[in-house]
Amino acid sequence: MEGELQRGSFRQKAALFLAGGCAIITIMKIRTILSVAACKMSRSILRWLGKGGTNVPGRVALKLYPTLLGELAQGVTTIIVTGTNGKTTTSRMIEKSLADSGIRYFANKSGANMLPGITAEFAMNSSLGGKNKYDVALVECDEAAFKTVSKYVDAKCVVVTNVFRDQLDRYGEVTHTLNSILTGIKNSPNAVVCINADDSLSVSMKDEISNKVVFYGVESEIYKNRVHEVSDAPYCIHCKTEYVYDYVTYGHLGGFRCPNCGYHRPKTEIAVEKVLESTADASTIEIRVGGKHYQATINLPGGYNIYNAIATVAAGHVLGLKDEVVIAALNSFECGFGRMEKFTIENTDIRMILIKNPAGCNQVLNFLSNTTQPALFVVALNDRYADGTDISWIWDVDFEKLNTVEERLTGIWVTGRRADEMAMRFKYTGLPMEKIRVIKDYDQLIEQMILQNAPVYIMPTYTAMLDIREKISKKFGFKEFWE
Amino acid sequence: MYELRICHLYPDILNLYGDRGNIICMTKRMEWRGIKTQVTGISVGDALNYEDYDIFFIGGGQDFEQGVLLEDLAQGKARQITEAIEAEKVFLAICGGYQMLGQYYKTWDGQQCDFIGALDLYTVGEKERMIGNYMYQCGAGDGNLTVVGFENHSGKTYLGQGVRPMGTVLAGYGNNGKDKTEGARYKNVFATYSHGPLLPKNPKLADHILKTALLRRYPDLCLEELDDTFENNAHDYMQHLLHG
Repeated sequence: MEGELQRGSFRQKAALFLAGGCAIITIMKIRTILSVAACKMSRSILRWLGKGGTNVPGRVALKLYPTLLGELAQGVTTIIVTGTNGKTTTSRMIEKSLADSGIRYFANKSGANMLPGITAEFAMNSSLGGKNKYDVALVECDEAAFKTVSKYVDAKCVVVTNVFRDQLDRYGEVTHTLNSILTGIKNSPNAVVCINADDSLSVSMKDEISNKVVFYGVESEIYKNRVHEVSDAPYCIHCKTEYVYDYVTYGHLGGFRCPNCGYHRPKTEIAVEKVLESTADASTIEIRVGGKHYQATINLPGGYNIYNAIATVAAGHVLGLKDEVVIAALNSFECGFGRMEKFTIENTDIRMILIKNPAGCNQVLNFLSNTTQPALFVVALNDRYADGTDISWIWDVDFEKLNTVEERLTGIWVTGRRADEMAMRFKYTGLPMEKIRVIKDYDQLIEQMILQNAPVYIMPTYTAMLDIREKISKKFGFKEFWE
Repeated sequence: MYELRICHLYPDILNLYGDRGNIICMTKRMEWRGIKTQVTGISVGDALNYEDYDIFFIGGGQDFEQGVLLEDLAQGKARQITEAIEAEKVFLAICGGYQMLGQYYKTWDGQQCDFIGALDLYTVGEKERMIGNYMYQCGAGDGNLTVVGFENHSGKTYLGQGVRPMGTVLAGYGNNGKDKTEGARYKNVFATYSHGPLLPKNPKLADHILKTALLRRYPDLCLEELDDTFENNAHDYMQHLLHG
């Protein structure tokens, strides 16, 4: 009796133990299934309602399971692209390289690049059980969010585009951004890190990390005629002596060295050796990858896109892609939405170029002042959270440069929530007042633009870009941004 | 021919978001009235003789570069600045530049950093930042002007007996988020947390400051009115937004 009882209780205990274990596993599984399902469902509903739904589904999933990303990212080879400027375009270039190499990948294309958006993208590409359907994930990651995202993702390759002063209300000082990226890299010990050799801020991370680093850069000047701009890093990050430059490409980027402590631009493994030609539509460059030399054409204009291209070549090299495939991709990729995106409406070419900070905006002006056609110039300035609530930076942009091409500007129009302030900025550039127009209503703006007999360049901040793009899409049947 | 001489202190270091908008604004508003402006940038290692200028402008900066600055100030510029202020020169000091004119800055973990000490005020760092559009009203001496701007600071500034506030907070935080004071006024010093382009969208304040400087040199000068439609639109939009 006693023995039987004991055996019985042992059996009961074992059964209970097993059941308990299964229950824990099942509960964990249920949590994964629930959160992934919630994410998928909320996105379907939002899309059905005609909304982008890039962030809300991720937030829903994270509420149910805060560390969901960690589970979903397991076993997926992940490439992270971060930095202040050029993340989206670089990601699109890398994406095309992956696709043309026959790699099965997914990417957060919609630009939702914080923890919720990235989690949602992984969930959308996973089975309900949390198993990813793809081998490779290409993740564009906000530089402030990188330190959090990197806790859950064991990246194989991290590309840092550059570090510039960005929206101060969100990111704080430039060294703050740098520290956030540094923490992210420290959380990614298995990643090979591609760093811009021309950026004294990014390069300074090298000594603080144990990762393998691949330096890429541009070996000579890009523009003959550059805008006047304030350097975001004039003093040596180590000893605070003013840097000396052998050449400057733009902003604080270039061949820097410190005359006091000797800190200097490192040797590059991947580099643009020469800019052969740059037109309003494309740039042709000579590049060096390890010991090999190639010629490449980038199907987007502007010096900043030359940097995006060489960052892509570096990433491709790290991932073991064929150089030829990556180089061909630079000439055939589709640019990210709002990044030199072109719409043709009733024979009027409209190009949309996202602006978010002085460095990026100055580069757009460098590009525009080197084109030769007449053009209508529109700035759409919003001050929502995603744009940066502080619009002071428009005074650091050298809009005065437009005076050199004033005679071929058919108009300087402003729109967006802070249109009045933008109009005032233009007044103080000394551009002719009769060319400055405030048109706050987007429908009216678009109608008037089409009536112009000139190509239109719209420079919107982030949320203004989304709003104008939606108007154009609805009116003229272009793709929605998540498609 | 009238002339206004502006000294821009540390333009390469104290140039946080949009501070140069104030220089652009002063220059243009003089140009539109046919008055010549001369802007001189004085930075690390440059000699400063305060008598050569009518207005001194100091912007805000990043903490990272503060060390370079303090070292340079100690080489004689701090004394020049104090003397200039006592000699009733006009100063416009913004954010970090404003704090620097005070006695000291104490970080939230207790480290003290001594500043120029030209104004009777001090700043204590806090972890939380005070960020956003804000608005204040200047005193009667400055025409009761309503000023709109953007503040972004973690330092809380407290005024001593010797200075009065530049204004009373109508919306936002101001000096410390507690006593409703904003900025500081002492002799001809205008100091405020309103970083970035303070003057363009507050054209009346811009002219008030310019006039204060010009009248010291040209007592008979009369500043003509400008068409400030664009400026007033920008000002009124923000005022409207903050009043809700």
